[in-house]
Amino acid sequence: MLNVRDLGVAFGVVQPLSGVSFSVSQGETLGIVGESGSGKSLTAMSVMGLLPLIGGRITDGSIEFDGADITALPERAYRKLRGGKIGLITQNPMTSLDPLKKIGPQVDDVAKLHLGLSNADARARTIDILGTLRIPEPALICDRYPHQMSGGMKQRIVIAMALAADPDLLIADEPTTALDVTVQAQIIRLLDDLVKERNLALVLITHDMSVVAQTCDKIVVMYAGRAVEQGPVEEIFDRPRHPYTQALIACIPRGLDDATRLTGIAGTVPTVLNYPKGCPFHPRCPKAEAICATDAPDFSVVGESAAACHFAEVAHAEPA
Amino acid sequence: MPNLLEVRDLSKRFTSAGGPFRKARSMHAVNGVSFDLASGRVIGVVGESGCGKSTLARLILRLIEPSGGRVNFDGDDLLAKTSAEMRKLRARMQMVFQDPYSAIDPRYTLSRAVAEPFEVQGVKPARPMADEVAELLEMVGLNPGLSTSYPHQISGGQKQRVGIARALALRPSLLVLDEPTASLDVSVQAQIIGLLEDLRADLGLTYLFISHDLSLVKYFCDEILVMYLGRVVEALPDTKAPARHPYTKTLMESTFEPDPKKRRLIAPLEGEVPSPFDLPPGCAFADRCPQASALCRTETPELSSKTGHAVACHHPL
Repeated sequence: MLNVRDLGVAFGVVQPLSGVSFSVSQGETLGIVGESGSGKSLTAMSVMGLLPLIGGRITDGSIEFDGADITALPERAYRKLRGGKIGLITQNPMTSLDPLKKIGPQVDDVAKLHLGLSNADARARTIDILGTLRIPEPALICDRYPHQMSGGMKQRIVIAMALAADPDLLIADEPTTALDVTVQAQIIRLLDDLVKERNLALVLITHDMSVVAQTCDKIVVMYAGRAVEQGPVEEIFDRPRHPYTQALIACIPRGLDDATRLTGIAGTVPTVLNYPKGCPFHPRCPKAEAICATDAPDFSVVGESAAACHFAEVAHAEPA
Repeated sequence: MPNLLEVRDLSKRFTSAGGPFRKARSMHAVNGVSFDLASGRVIGVVGESGCGKSTLARLILRLIEPSGGRVNFDGDDLLAKTSAEMRKLRARMQMVFQDPYSAIDPRYTLSRAVAEPFEVQGVKPARPMADEVAELLEMVGLNPGLSTSYPHQISGGQKQRVGIARALALRPSLLVLDEPTASLDVSVQAQIIGLLEDLRADLGLTYLFISHDLSLVKYFCDEILVMYLGRVVEALPDTKAPARHPYTKTLMESTFEPDPKKRRLIAPLEGEVPSPFDLPPGCAFADRCPQASALCRTETPELSSKTGHAVACHHPL
């Protein structure tokens, strides 16, 4: 459904994103994980064609959606796609909802614009979608304003808007980060069901490895604007081959396992202005050697997973 | 170990002012909370937003005035103290805040930020202030060379370290940690948690750790209090104890394991946290609880412990 190849993004002379490749098929969930500043949201914005709005441009690679190259699609054509065949769910539902407009019309507008439905048909569709999202009394909710609803409910409305035009691809950028855990569990379950029932392709962007472990089929781990490791989710969690992925997994507190002690990763995530030469992770990497500081590693592929590390093969041979 | 902190029936009621178009309303942000914290132990307070955990932290340090109850700190009844006495006592009970960006004055150098507690308390350290600051920065894993930097020049994790150095400046025995890692990346969160563990061991500190993250609390704490709408619904005596309150069970089931082989079938808890302004009679969780009975909707269950594992539920698991 979506095929991103060797994507590079620049703002003026800074290059916050380079060499990112991944693909998602129907009925599949892809997780993009990384810490803040790793370029995961920028990847989402590239796919949505929103880079020109924030002054960025795609310098390398290509983005293919449903068999067509959309890398250099003009804004007019992108507008049809965005919110139509590609739905977006953002982290903060308040930035996606108009506070001055009732819920019903906000969701109706999507179907009216993209599917050309009449007012009445669009409303019927809205009520139907709200119902499938397990929103109680959908007809009443249509007459409410966003401020009258809880955070979890607002996030469901945003999901309803993303679904209104019957998309093939959903991009969810930290959809549960602002929510409490019990509400997060509801929303994750909902997204899971949607992928299965509607055969959607879902790109889930998150910093939370536990959410990824719970929902994704495959993942891309990003660090400092690069994909450092990717593959099927079980493979990555069982046999992480990039030292960053290994460290990231070791950073997750596990309540019931007293043996492992949290130490974190020494140092801090580099910002785009001081991306290190060579492998971006080498200043914080316990296994770094001279070559890591000078040469950026290519992806080495073992089975279905790939890691961008000079010593990936070696790491794989060691017991985890 | 003796109890460093004893909290009894602590309550806080907030009232919103009425006006021409609305009635004055009041809510219990914290309602009858009691617990003991033994010296050297770590108690975690966990709950979702609005459950009153941050209000509880502030009540204990008397940063806001309780509406009722008692707080004993090392034998002193805090609520009987004057504000001058309270200020003196606070040298021994310090707080680390969630947002390291707003906890430090942006116009202060780090050395001034770390020295500020001495200034506030009117305490002169035994050695030159510069040495004291350097030692504190080293203690939290910062290079003393940073002492002339400003907050905007350092990262979020480093700022939180400065926040901890400030809290440690006067050598307190109790630290109240209010979501100290909630705004940090996971690799930095793990650094800070590791640091807090080291400091606890080295300095013999006692922590009250407030968090929404159950896996973090289970990792870090000795005992856990679970709060829901202002009340403690369960006090887990250790981190391996199984949940007895249906809400705790839901909370545990909503927390995902970082292991794709341990995926769970999420049976989502329907409904939302009710508004604290018009709480239904009886157990506040009854409307969302699968085992609620008629009794639960009329009578509020008290926190009771027969086995040292206290739970406020008419039908504990």
